[in-house]
Amino acid sequence: MDTIIQQLFNAAQLGAVYALIALGYSMVYGIIRLINFAHGDIFMLGGFIGLLLTTRFGWMPFYLLLPLAMLLTALVGVTIERVAYRRLRNAQRMSVVITTLGVGIFLENLVRLTVGPETRQIPARLPSAPVVWLQQHLGAFVTWDKLLIILISLALMAILWLVVNRTLIGTAMRAVADNKDAVPLMGVNLNLVIAVTFAIGSALAAAGGIFYGQAYSIDPYMGIDLGWKAFIAAVIGGIGSIEGAVLGSFLLAGVEVITVAYLSSNLKNGIAFGLLILLLLVWPWGIMGKPTLKKV
Amino acid sequence: MSTQPQPEHTAPPPEPGQSKVRFWMVCALILALALPLQLSVDAGLFPDVLNPYYLHLLTIIGMNIILVASLNLLNGYLGEFALGHAGFMAVGAYTAALLATKALPSAAALPPVLGTCIILVVTLGGAMLMAAGVGYLIGLVTFKTVGDYLAIITLGFNMIIVNAIQNMDFVGGPRGFTGIPKNTNFLAVAVCALLTLGLLRNLIQSSFGRVWVSIRENAIAAELMGVSIARAKNWAFTIAAAFAGLAGGLWAQNQQFITPRSFDYIKTTEILVMLYLGGMASLSGSILGVVAYTLLMELLRNLLSTFAPQLAEWRMLISPLILIIIMLTRQTGLLGNREWRWLRPRQGA
Repeated sequence: MDTIIQQLFNAAQLGAVYALIALGYSMVYGIIRLINFAHGDIFMLGGFIGLLLTTRFGWMPFYLLLPLAMLLTALVGVTIERVAYRRLRNAQRMSVVITTLGVGIFLENLVRLTVGPETRQIPARLPSAPVVWLQQHLGAFVTWDKLLIILISLALMAILWLVVNRTLIGTAMRAVADNKDAVPLMGVNLNLVIAVTFAIGSALAAAGGIFYGQAYSIDPYMGIDLGWKAFIAAVIGGIGSIEGAVLGSFLLAGVEVITVAYLSSNLKNGIAFGLLILLLLVWPWGIMGKPTLKKV
Repeated sequence: MSTQPQPEHTAPPPEPGQSKVRFWMVCALILALALPLQLSVDAGLFPDVLNPYYLHLLTIIGMNIILVASLNLLNGYLGEFALGHAGFMAVGAYTAALLATKALPSAAALPPVLGTCIILVVTLGGAMLMAAGVGYLIGLVTFKTVGDYLAIITLGFNMIIVNAIQNMDFVGGPRGFTGIPKNTNFLAVAVCALLTLGLLRNLIQSSFGRVWVSIRENAIAAELMGVSIARAKNWAFTIAAAFAGLAGGLWAQNQQFITPRSFDYIKTTEILVMLYLGGMASLSGSILGVVAYTLLMELLRNLLSTFAPQLAEWRMLISPLILIIIMLTRQTGLLGNREWRWLRPRQGA
C-alpha cells in the first residue's frame, strides 16, 4: 500500500512537469496550428536559467527565483517567435515547423557550448524533509519538495485556466484559436495575442525545467526526450485543449511509472512512442480535442 | 498528335535548348576519375596531393547524396514531411553489419577484388531489402495520416527503431556494433550514388513518379483521376527507405563502428538541413546541397581549428542557423524545382 502511494506521488510529480511543458505545446498549436518543436528546448533553457540564478544569486529565495526565471524564459520565447516564426506565419506550414526544428537544435548546441554537456543538478532550494503527516497516516515516504512541486504546478495551471477563461486576453486567445482571420478584423492585435501565448507557454516550461532540475537533473539534451514526452501527453489529451494537456500528462506519467516499476526502464520510451503512434492512428483528436473534418 | 499545335496552357514550358552533356557522360567521367583516384590513394602515391582525408570527404559526400536524394523523393516530390530517415539508415547499417560479420566470410578468404564486390552486393542488397521491408510496414500505418501528424509518426518510428536497437543485445545494444570489416571505399560509394541518382531520376520522370507530383499538387484531383493515393505513397516510402538502407549499409562498412545514438533525431535533422539547403523536388539541388554543406562544415572546422581552436566547437551552431536562414529568406533552397540540364530527360524521346 505504501509503495503504491509513493509511486502515485512519483507519477504526480512527473506528470506535473509534463503538464507544464505540454500546456505550451497545446496552447501554441491551438492558436496558430504550429507544432513548436523548439518548445522542449525552451523547457531545457528554463532549467538552465534557473541553475544560473541559483548559483550566481544564492541569496535569492525560491519564490523570487521561480518568477524571475519564468520571466526571462518568456522573454526568450517571445524573441524567438518575433525573429524566427512571425514572418513565416503566412508561408507554407512546413517551413515554420522546419524552422522550429532548427531553433531547437540551435538552443541545444548553444547551451552545450556555453555551459557544457555535463548533467547538472540545480542546488536544492525546496525543503527535502519527509512529510510527517503522510508518513504517520499512510506510511508513505514523500518529501516536501515533491509535494511542493506538485502543488505549485497545480496552482500555476489553475492561474492559467483563470487567465484563459476569465480575462480579456484569454478571450482574445480563444477567439484567435477559433478563427485567426476574423479576429484581427474585430480590432484585436493578433501579434500581441500570439506573443502572449508564447510568453505564457515559455514561462510554464521554465517552471517545469526548474522543478525537473530540483527533482532530477538537467542536461542540454533533456529537451528532446522530455519535450517529446510532453508532446505525446498533449496529443493524448487532445492537442489544443488545456484540460486535455493536463489530463494526458498525468496519464502518460502514470503509464511510465508503472512501466518502470513493473517492467523495465529500457522500455519506457518505446512504450511512450508506441502509445503515441497507436493513438494517432485510432484516436487522433485525443481525449478532449475536437475531431476536425478535412475540407475539400 | 505531335504535329498538332498544342493549346497554350497544356504545352510544356519552353526548353532553353538541350544540353549536349548527357547523364551517362557525367557518370562515365566521375567513374573515370574515381577509379585512378581510389587506386593511387590505396597505393599511397602522391601523399601530399592525394590526401586520404580528401577521399574520406568525397566518400561522406557520396553517402549523403544517397540519403538526401532519397529523402527528396518523400519531402520534395511527394510533398509530405517525413522525419524518420535516419531510422531506415539504422536498419540498413545494422543489417549490413550483421551480414558482413556473422553471415559472410571475410574478404581475405575470397579472391581479392571479386570477393569484396560479392560481399558488398550481398550486404548492401540485404540492407536495402530489410530497410524497404521496415519502410513498407511503417508506411502502411503512417500514410493514414497527413501533415503534422505524419511528421510526428515518422519521427516516432525513428525513435522506436533506435530504442529497439538499444534493447538488442546481439548487436551490441547501446554500446554499439564494433568490428565491422572495412569493405566500402570511395569507388563503391561513387557507383552506388550514381546508380541511386540514375534510378531516382528515371523513376521521377516516369508516369509512376508523376503520380507523386500529382499527389503533392492536389491529392483530391489525383484521386479523382484514379490514383490510389495510399499505394503510391507507400511505394515512395518503401523506395526512399531502401535507399536510406543502402546509405546505412555503406556507412557501417566505412566507419566500421556504429551506435544507435548516431541514427537519432540529430542525424535526421542533418539530412533535412542538406535537403532544404539544396532545394526541394530537385536532384541537382540534393547534390549541390550535400556538397555545399559538407564543404562548408569542413572548411569551418579547418579555419576555426587553425585560427581560433577554442571556438572550434562553435560550428555546431552554424548548421541550425543555416536551416533557419534558408527558411526565412529562400524557402525553395538553392535549386528548388529546378534541374541541371544533364539530369533532365531528353525531350521527345
